[in-house]
Amino acid sequence: MSAVISVEKLSKWYGNVLGLSDVTLDIEAGITGILGPNGAGKSTFLKLITGQIKSNIGTVRLQGETVWNNPSLFARIGFCPEQDAFFEELSGKCFLLHMLKLSGFSGEECERRAVRALETVDLTGAGGRVIRSYSRGMRQRIKIAQSIAHDPDVLIMDEPLNGLDPLGRRKIIRLIKEFKSEGRTVIVSSHVLPEIEAMTNQIVLIHQGKIFAQGDIHYIRDLIESHPHMISIKCSRPRLLAARFIEEKDVIDVRFHEDGEMIVETNDRDSFFGRLPSLLLKNDIDIHEISSPDDNLQAVFDYLIGS
Amino acid sequence: MSIKEKGYTHWDGELESRRFPWSPIMRSGIRLTFKKKFFKLFFFLNLIPAVVYLAGIYISERLEDFEFMIREASMPFKVNPAYFNSFLSGDYLLFMIVMILVFAGAGLIADDLKHNSLQLYFSRPLKKRDYFMGKTSIVFFFLLIVTLVPGLVLFLMKLIFAGNFKFIQDYPWLPLSIIGYSVLLTAFFACYALFLSALSRNSRYVAVMTFGMYLFSDILYAIFNGIFRKPAFALMSIKANLQQIGAAFFGVKLPYDVPWMYSFVLLVLFCGVAVIFLSRRVRGVEVVR
Repeated sequence: MSAVISVEKLSKWYGNVLGLSDVTLDIEAGITGILGPNGAGKSTFLKLITGQIKSNIGTVRLQGETVWNNPSLFARIGFCPEQDAFFEELSGKCFLLHMLKLSGFSGEECERRAVRALETVDLTGAGGRVIRSYSRGMRQRIKIAQSIAHDPDVLIMDEPLNGLDPLGRRKIIRLIKEFKSEGRTVIVSSHVLPEIEAMTNQIVLIHQGKIFAQGDIHYIRDLIESHPHMISIKCSRPRLLAARFIEEKDVIDVRFHEDGEMIVETNDRDSFFGRLPSLLLKNDIDIHEISSPDDNLQAVFDYLIGS
Repeated sequence: MSIKEKGYTHWDGELESRRFPWSPIMRSGIRLTFKKKFFKLFFFLNLIPAVVYLAGIYISERLEDFEFMIREASMPFKVNPAYFNSFLSGDYLLFMIVMILVFAGAGLIADDLKHNSLQLYFSRPLKKRDYFMGKTSIVFFFLLIVTLVPGLVLFLMKLIFAGNFKFIQDYPWLPLSIIGYSVLLTAFFACYALFLSALSRNSRYVAVMTFGMYLFSDILYAIFNGIFRKPAFALMSIKANLQQIGAAFFGVKLPYDVPWMYSFVLLVLFCGVAVIFLSRRVRGVEVVR
């Protein structure tokens, strides 16, 4: 698959402060989560790929075209910034109409699209109210509405779920997934890992202005050899199972918790899970629960940034 | 390969040809300004000088009917380039222009800075130049309505009331002077308004600065001139500089004993500094240093 966004040797400084350092990566169609703690460089990265700021070194290309100083390209990009960015004295609908007119749509098309975008973010009833009177969640939704109203090929969202209630979050996550299913590119930044996890497995982890990891979460987890995989098992005969596990080469450690949970650490998760069914059958053990507590985004994140 | 759905609105039409991508900014700015309290009243108060000067032109063509009014006048009442100069660079009109800027110009950039909306503009197919064009055109719209339009209407009415073309034969360059000075006045005030508007995120401060700077420059001139008795201090006053250039445009005696070119250079320099400042200040996102 060819890259929709190509970033090459991208660096940005704010005076003496490093924003982003020597970042090279390709982002393909689908949802990509940009992860990192506060101040990691996520927003700088998004501003660079949306052409909002100029890099000190390096280039950003979107569908083969340079992003910086190329406003015609922005008709294909939808950008939802992290901070509130509105014309507060306009109503929600007027705000969308204004943004659509700036994108170059005709009056009739603007009207149709504004209504559609308001519907999509559940703001039809509040479209006539001035933005100044909107709640935090409504402001977030109108911000999202302006980013999708012009039907962009690439949607870039900086912390899009901030301030939304659980229902609103679910709706926006569904919308983002719809964009993906249409073959478009969505880049979502967040420091709330479960939000990203709910949307995608494809991540770019940024820390201290550098790319720490990129790709599928599980694949990245497998690459982290310094931290063995943890597998939590609740079963009918934990001590017998532990005795069987400990004979295996790839099993490093077995621990028991008070609630009967057994934690197994292994270097080779695939062979561990390959052996497990036959072990259970041979020893007549009933499994109640099995999970991988560190095969998730939080664990990958913690291991990579060393927290 | 996965199957791609078409869930959201997919548009296959073409975007409008964008000869004037800044026009939505202008339209929205004008609409919002007219929504401001008392603005309409202030705006129409600006047309008072035009009405008075129009009456003057009518009287000048019917002197015999109005002899009782002008009998006591110290100078002969005559419509000439000085008459148009006094209309366009009169104290009242300049003051009212500043008042328009207080309403229409203060929030032009300040509000965008306050609400972080610059990044919204620059995430659209819009160049920085288009943004400035849009904002400048709002000032141009309001100021040309109170300067250029009445100026040309007065000129036409003079011809109509006179019923002949003698006036245009005597002063064929006058329409150009009216256009030139109105545009220069408007361009200066557009730079003035945008520069001040970009200085702060609070449009109220900007409104105070817009009015205060104009007034303060004149007070400064009065103080220094009072102490040192040197007309060169007129260069400190925005109003005096504009009146100097006005006099030069209409070919009448300069109100201050200073070459008008100095005033012109000063105002051009101010506009240059304003443009440089604006291009640095206005950017998609605020950069924290």
